[in-house]
Amino acid sequence: MKPFTYVLPHTLAEAHTAAKKAGAVLKGAGIDLVDRLKERIEAPPEVVNLLPLKNDLAGIADDGGGLRIGALTTLRQIAEAAALQGPAFGAVRIAAGLTATPLVRNRATLGGNLLQLARCWYLRSAAFGCLHGGKGPTCLAMTGENRYHSILGWHDCVRVHPSNLAPALLACGAEYTTFFDGKQERRPLAALFPDEPTAQKAEHTLRDGEILVAIHLPKPSGDVRSTYQETREKDSFDWATTAAAVQVTLQDGTITDASIVLGAVSPVPRPRAEAAKSLIGKKPGDAAFLKAAEMAVAGASPLSQNAYKLSLCKAIVRAALTEVTR
Amino acid sequence: MTKPPPDQPQEAFSRRSFLKGASVATIAGTAATAAATAATATQGKPETFGPGTHEIQLKVNGQNKLVKVETRTTLLDALRDQMDLTGAKKICDRGACGGCTVHLDGQPINSCLTLAMDAIGGEITTVESLTEGGKVHPLVQNFVHCDAMQCGFCTPGMVMSSLACLQQRGKPTREQIQHDLSGNICRCGTYGRIFEAVERTAQGAQGGGK
Ligand SMILES: Cc1cc2nc3c(=O)[nH]c(=O)nc-3n(C[C@H](O)[C@H](O)[C@H](O)COP(=O)(O)OP(=O)(O)OC[C@H]3O[C@@H](n4cnc5c(N)ncnc54)[C@H](O)[C@@H]3O)c2cc1C
Ligand code: FES
Ligand code: FES
Repeated sequence: MKPFTYVLPHTLAEAHTAAKKAGAVLKGAGIDLVDRLKERIEAPPEVVNLLPLKNDLAGIADDGGGLRIGALTTLRQIAEAAALQGPAFGAVRIAAGLTATPLVRNRATLGGNLLQLARCWYLRSAAFGCLHGGKGPTCLAMTGENRYHSILGWHDCVRVHPSNLAPALLACGAEYTTFFDGKQERRPLAALFPDEPTAQKAEHTLRDGEILVAIHLPKPSGDVRSTYQETREKDSFDWATTAAAVQVTLQDGTITDASIVLGAVSPVPRPRAEAAKSLIGKKPGDAAFLKAAEMAVAGASPLSQNAYKLSLCKAIVRAALTEVTR
Repeated sequence: MTKPPPDQPQEAFSRRSFLKGASVATIAGTAATAAATAATATQGKPETFGPGTHEIQLKVNGQNKLVKVETRTTLLDALRDQMDLTGAKKICDRGACGGCTVHLDGQPINSCLTLAMDAIGGEITTVESLTEGGKVHPLVQNFVHCDAMQCGFCTPGMVMSSLACLQQRGKPTREQIQHDLSGNICRCGTYGRIFEAVERTAQGAQGGGK
């Protein structure tokens, strides 16, 4: 780790001003950032610590319109939150509880989880120079070791978006608020991720110094249920090889609304709108779920080592839909 | 596909009552400190530190200590290199093994991915607290009794995660113990005996002889 100046702000405005400076980087718990600094893939001159703003930026509260989850809320707090116990936000609770390890979840923040750097082994190593890292001419995983990489929606870089929380929150219709130039701005969560996730694009769309303040979940109306499933090579410590979050609304035994979002298969979390739409007006049942699962991976173009992800994806979409409508 | 984690922890065995019961020394030091913290800073401008060395105050095992750190110093390095508390181990140094587990405000964390600066104002508890004053904590005695280690390298981290499990759940089930220890890797594969040591402690055993 290279030496850096450490900035402890008292207010969002101070944090924003400090973080806007060239080379400055924001920090939540630092679990992702400290790792990147130790690997020497980054050496920012200034680190702006958001933890002093915990009082304002951590916690889960009903703000009238729905739930507001502060960006500094820890994954453990989310996994155990009473406010998230209902069926509507099961996906969020389960995704948080499955992430990393209890030790990591005790500190890792929601903001840091959503905004973390991709875990591609070429990108994360100072020994390699790749296109996404801005240190090479090509995506090394495209023709290299790519069993954990993208199977759909990739362009010139096949990294996958690593966050468990992102697909879960997207499936639940979340929005996010940021702070920039004295103003708070609220947008649908999908806008946090680039439309065309090319190598040049960051994992997220935040401008330099823009601070993620909170995530918002809408008040569920009717019989809304969600869940999250993922596959891994081992039960603990492991990243998802595929992930699926689903939310459905049921009325008189019929699906009236649905969303399906895949994680760990594309450079951004991927809502599968067509697949979800195919469920609307249907009664829950395996035939409908199988069809939706097939549609969820439609148009996929797996790499040399990761076609296995197609069947895993289909299996967890089907299983998640079965579980959530039970 | 993985199972959702088991039930939430219960507060039955709080950290406070545990510390009392185990009579771990918690005499708070009152050393004056030159270290500025966010709490004492003036409004209007952010505090900045570094990039050089400066002194901070950390509260470790109930005692306030002054430590020289850089902004990039991790809590693990501060404990091991500056405070001679070498119980917490540096193994992966990337949050991927749990060898460096200590408690921060009662919760087990990876001290290798925690900057020392971020522990200012917090209560840090290390494995050394369990043998302070010549009194050995029952959990440690039960690790010995169950022969819950082979090379012993993961042991301090395992003990600290086990301690948190006991403090937060009181009488944890086997499944809850497995869940709470899932951030600690034992390369020698001693898991079964570690779980037994935790269960014995929950049952009130004091190591051997019972
Ligand atoms: C062993 C291990 C296993 C893991 N497994 C998983 C897994 O299975 N699934 C998964 O999803 N994650 C996993 N993680 C990643 C972990 O969840 C993240 O590293 C963690 O959530 C990051 O949170 P943080 O607060 O430490 O972020 P930081 O490291 O502080 O920040 C991460 C990034 O986000 C930016 N940032 C943080 N907060 C804000 C904000 N409020 N506004 C603007 N920018 C901000 C920072 O600038 C930085 O670039 C794992 C990590 C470890 C160590
Ligand atoms: S040394 Fe910290 S988790 Fe491995
Ligand atoms: S006893 Fe050797 S690693 Fe656990």
